[in-house]
Amino acid sequence: MALGLAVICCLGSGYIVVTLGLPQSTPFIYQRMVRASLSTGFGLGIFSVIFFLARVLGLSRVLAIDLVVLGLLTVGLWWVRTRSKPAIIRMLAEETIALPRWLRRLLAVAFGSALAAALYSAILRSIVHPHGEGWDAFAIWNLHARFLFRGGEHWRDGLSPLIPWSHPDYPLLLPSAVAHFWSVLGQESTAVPAVIGLVFTFGTLGLLFSSLAILRGRTSAILAGLGLVSTPFFVEQGSSQYADVPLSFFFLAVIVLHLDGESRGDQSLYRGYGRLALAGIAAGLALWTKNEGMLFLVACVVAQIVVRGPEWMNRLAFFILAVAPFLMLVTWFKHSVAFPNELFSNQPKMLHKFLDSARYWAILKWFVRDFLRFGQWWPIPGTLLLALLYVVVAGKHNWQNSQQFWTSALTLALTLAGYFVIYVITPYDLDWHLRFSLNRLFLQLWPSTIFVFFLAIPAKVG
Amino acid sequence: MSEPPSDRVRARNTAGILLFIIGCLLSSVRLIQTSPNAAHLQPDDIARRAEHRFSALKSQLPASGVIGYIGESGNAGTEDYYLAQYALAPLVVERSKSHGLVVVSISTLPPKPDTEGLQFVKDFGNGVRLFSNKDAK
Repeated sequence: MALGLAVICCLGSGYIVVTLGLPQSTPFIYQRMVRASLSTGFGLGIFSVIFFLARVLGLSRVLAIDLVVLGLLTVGLWWVRTRSKPAIIRMLAEETIALPRWLRRLLAVAFGSALAAALYSAILRSIVHPHGEGWDAFAIWNLHARFLFRGGEHWRDGLSPLIPWSHPDYPLLLPSAVAHFWSVLGQESTAVPAVIGLVFTFGTLGLLFSSLAILRGRTSAILAGLGLVSTPFFVEQGSSQYADVPLSFFFLAVIVLHLDGESRGDQSLYRGYGRLALAGIAAGLALWTKNEGMLFLVACVVAQIVVRGPEWMNRLAFFILAVAPFLMLVTWFKHSVAFPNELFSNQPKMLHKFLDSARYWAILKWFVRDFLRFGQWWPIPGTLLLALLYVVVAGKHNWQNSQQFWTSALTLALTLAGYFVIYVITPYDLDWHLRFSLNRLFLQLWPSTIFVFFLAIPAKVG
Repeated sequence: MSEPPSDRVRARNTAGILLFIIGCLLSSVRLIQTSPNAAHLQPDDIARRAEHRFSALKSQLPASGVIGYIGESGNAGTEDYYLAQYALAPLVVERSKSHGLVVVSISTLPPKPDTEGLQFVKDFGNGVRLFSNKDAK
């Protein structure tokens, strides 16, 4: 009963926040799917923040707080709805990739099969690894959830510098969301982190598919969905109870929500500032998921300024306004609660590493190697398959040159460049650090990369 | 107005998309192959065994605070230590002897952890012993 109520509060809060930012309901299934996909991640993010603040303030009745938050959001939605104009119903995009009917059917069957395989594999992995697959699941994310749940007023002990290997500076979106549900249940259940992992995995797929269906048509959406769901590493990590797939969800949400409807009618997912506010919230939730969220936020702001120019500044200010509460939360967490990040602990050594060209060369080799190895594709690397698809399908058509495309592409490129720099200054053994983290950093950007790739396919090919 | 694509372009697109579908499906097959066997699901119970191993000890420890830990060195010892911390949370378990209470995890393989300077308190079985350190601050 209590768990059911908590699930309703979680999804309901996410749905209302998303609905507040998007136009009123439209009859298209894909627009409902975008809303539903965003609602899952936003709901879990809201739940995480609620639980963390309840712990900070010493409040114990989290379900009562959930109900109050849901009630307030419902009133807010009613207030906005009674004052807003009716929705503008938009047409879906024309198919950018036109295929014969038999190939469209084959593509749909292939997507269905790959989706079934991914679901099957993810569920079995979750059953076989109830505490997560790999050390980080129990040594970082679920350990922090236990401290938050079991620790009561001593929850901060879990962020002690005496256990630096548990990365006490890591943000708490995932552990706090898990601990929230455990508190409602009154006990720890391994099903909670497993289900949250699956929700983020298939929520990311749903968001990629539905947003591309609106912007580029159903064929592009199915091709993109097939590319993501056939990435073995994405499915494995999604069920491993790590935070990289949740982070990839919020990165994709920021990219999707940042698109505007200026240059082509079919690109107008949502108009106005509500969409920007949602993009800001998604960026804030990325900050609250992993440290890489900060790098992505900076990349996103720089890309907007470079590509869109000064006229975008007032809209950018609105985006930053929406990020601000999360920025304050994370800043307070980093400075008042958590142990400082070890990456930046020795600045003289950092400078020395900056000047060491051998490190750049070593990192570059790893980047190139993992570009081909990434995702555990077999036998053809997924990155090559996508590149090949572009060459074949786009042919001699011009590159997509919209601002939306270039802003998104530059955001991803700058984030990748930021990852490169982090490796240059890392205090860890460089080979060890690259070996155990580079593929997960690539994974964080993978759903957004697929999205931007299909955005790049020129209008009407085939 | 854009011209309708030629037969050659259509054939090239079809071939490209067929190759993409085949590449994706082969990777999905690999995903299934590397998945656990549904007929013989054997949950990985390392963390559950650690819970069980330290459950008797937990009742003898304070509800919060910091305790010490010593055990096997190397990678296997590190995993044991992480699992001990996972099982004993919300206590902070530091890999050191410099605390009032020290958990000693003894594996079946030598060498035994160095307990010099510690006073034996109780043996909880499964290689778990509790020591105290009177010199700790």
